[in-house]
Amino acid sequence: MLRIVVGIKWVPNTTSVNIDPKTGTLIREGIPSVVNPHDLEAVEMALRLRDEYGGRVTAITMSPPSARAGLEHVLGMGVDDAVLVSDRAFAGADTLATSYVLAKVIERLGYDLIVFGQETIDSSTAHVGAQVASWLDIPYVYYVTHARLEGGRLIVRRSLENVRETYELELPALISVAMHTLHPRRVRLSHKLRAKLESPIETWTNRELGLEPDCIGLKGSPTALSKIEMIPKVPRKNEIFRGDPREAAKWLVDKLIEEGLLEV
Amino acid sequence: MVCSEWPEIRLDEYEGVWVAAFADESGQGIEEASLQLIGAARQLADKLETYVGVALIGRGVRDLAREPIFYGADRVFVVDDDRLATYYPAVWGRVLHDLASRHRPEVFLIPATLRGREMAPYIANSFRTGITADLTAMDVNERGEVVLIRPPFGGFMLAHIVTRNRRPVMGSVRPNVFPTPERDESRTGEVVEESIDVPEPRGIRLLEREPILKKEEIPIEKADVIVAGGRGIGSKEGFKLLRRLADLLGGVVAGSRKAVDAGWIEPDKQVGQTGKAVKPNLYIAVAISGAAQHVFGIREAKRVVAINVDPDAPIFEHSDYGIVGDYREVVPALIELLEEIKGRRKEG
Repeated sequence: MLRIVVGIKWVPNTTSVNIDPKTGTLIREGIPSVVNPHDLEAVEMALRLRDEYGGRVTAITMSPPSARAGLEHVLGMGVDDAVLVSDRAFAGADTLATSYVLAKVIERLGYDLIVFGQETIDSSTAHVGAQVASWLDIPYVYYVTHARLEGGRLIVRRSLENVRETYELELPALISVAMHTLHPRRVRLSHKLRAKLESPIETWTNRELGLEPDCIGLKGSPTALSKIEMIPKVPRKNEIFRGDPREAAKWLVDKLIEEGLLEV
Repeated sequence: MVCSEWPEIRLDEYEGVWVAAFADESGQGIEEASLQLIGAARQLADKLETYVGVALIGRGVRDLAREPIFYGADRVFVVDDDRLATYYPAVWGRVLHDLASRHRPEVFLIPATLRGREMAPYIANSFRTGITADLTAMDVNERGEVVLIRPPFGGFMLAHIVTRNRRPVMGSVRPNVFPTPERDESRTGEVVEESIDVPEPRGIRLLEREPILKKEEIPIEKADVIVAGGRGIGSKEGFKLLRRLADLLGGVVAGSRKAVDAGWIEPDKQVGQTGKAVKPNLYIAVAISGAAQHVFGIREAKRVVAINVDPDAPIFEHSDYGIVGDYREVVPALIELLEEIKGRRKEG
C-alpha cells in the first residue's frame, strides 16, 4: 500500500492584499486565508497516484488551529486523513525549524512518498521540500509535472528552463509538484460528509512529538527578522486620459513619440 | 542551549563571501545568474573587507576556472569531476556543502535558477543553517551582521533578515536581480583545484534529458517593450489582441499572476514578485489592477502605461500615462493608429 503524505500551508490570500493608496498602509481587514493554491496541485497529484495504484493520502500542516478549515478542504477533495501540527512551541519557526518538525511528523506517520507544492504564495521560498528531504535523507526532485509507478519505483517528469528530464526514484522519496500544471479537483459533498462523520483530523502538539525545545519554533530558527521597511513608491508622472478611445490612442502615441519611445 | 541536531561551530572561523557557480548550457561559459551573483558578492565583500570565493563544480569546468575572476572573484575553488557529469540535487548539494565546509565562508550565495532553488535549501540544511530565498539586496548593519533583504509579502515591504549563531549566512538570488558585471581580463585571482569525494546518487537515476525547443523569443526580462495583460483581459482570445499590439511595438507579451493562473499566458511570462522583475523602456499594463506584488516587478521600467476600465485601479498610481477605458476599444484604436504610422513610414 502506497503511503503518501502531502504537505499543505494555510496562507493569507495575498492576491487580495493591497495598500490603501490614500494612507499608504496595509489593508488587512477581511483578508481570507486559503490553502496555498500550489499545494492543491500537490494534493491533486497525490490523489491521482492513490486512485491509480491504491493506498492512502494523509495531509499535514503546521499551523495555528484555524488551518483546520484547510485540512477540511482537502479532505473534501478526497484525502483520507489529516494531521494538524499545532503548538505554540512551534510558532515563529523559519523554514529550517518548520522542516524539522514536519520531517519528524512524517517519520512518525510512516511514508513511501512525500508530496509538496512548488512554493507558497505568501513567502515563495520553495525551501521546505528539500529541507525535509535532507532531514529524512531521502532522494528528492522538484517541479514534477507527471508521476507514475513502475515496478515499485516512481518515474517522474519535469521541465527546467531549457531541458526536460525524466528521473526514476526509489521509494521512499519526496517530490514537489510544478505549479500551474494540474487542475485540482473540486470538493465533493460526499467526501465532506464522510469527513464530518469520521472526523479524520488529528491534532499533534509537541506533547505527542516530544521534540527538543531548542530545535523548534523561534529558538530552532537560525534566521531572524531584524527590520521591516516599506518599499518606497517609484515616482511616476500619473497623467490620465479619459474619453474617446481613438483620442486616447492619439494622446498616448503622441506622448510616446515625444519621449522617443516610438519611432515615426 | 543549542539544538542538539546542530553541530557546534565557532562564528569567528567563518570568513569570505562565496557564490556557487555552474557552467552554462553550452559548457563554454559560466551561467549568467552566477556571474551576476559574483558582482553582488563583490560589493558585499568590499563592505566586509573580505574576499569573494566561487565554488565552481561540474564536469569539465576546469577550463572555465579563470572566468569568475574576470567578473570579480578573488579565489575560485574548482571541483571538476566525471561523477558530476549528471546533475542530481542531493549529490551536487552535498558536494557544495562539503567544499564550503572545508573553507568556512561567512556568506554563501546560490543563484536561484530552477536547479539552484532545488539545491539551495538542501545545502543550507546540511549546514543546519538558515537560508533567505530570493534576496534583492545585501548589507552590513551597525553590529557588523550581514543583512539579507527580501520582499516577504505582497511585494511592498522589505524584510531584513539576519542569521544569528549559525554559518554560513545563506541566500538565493533570482536571475537578473543584479546586473552582470563588466568582464575585466586584467583582474587577478587564485584558482584552487579541490578534490571532493563525490557521493554516488542514492535512490535516484536520470533516465532521460532532452532540450526544450523553444520559439526564438526574447525573454520578458530582456525585452525593451512589454505589453502585459491581467485578469480584466478575460480570455485567451484577448491576449491575441495584446500580441498584435506588442508586435507593432517590437515588444513581447507578458501577464499578471491572475492571467497566468487563468491559463491565458505561460508561467515564464509572469511579471511580479512571484514571477519576474522586468526593466523595459516601455511597459503597457492592460486590464491589470496593479496589486502591489505586480507593481514590484515593474519598478525598473522606464515608462509605465496603464489601460484600465476602472478609474480607481491602483495601477494608475504607478503609471506615467493612464487611459481610463475598455481595453477592447482602446487597444484596437492603438493598433489602428500604429499601423497607420507604420504604413506612412514605409511610404516615406
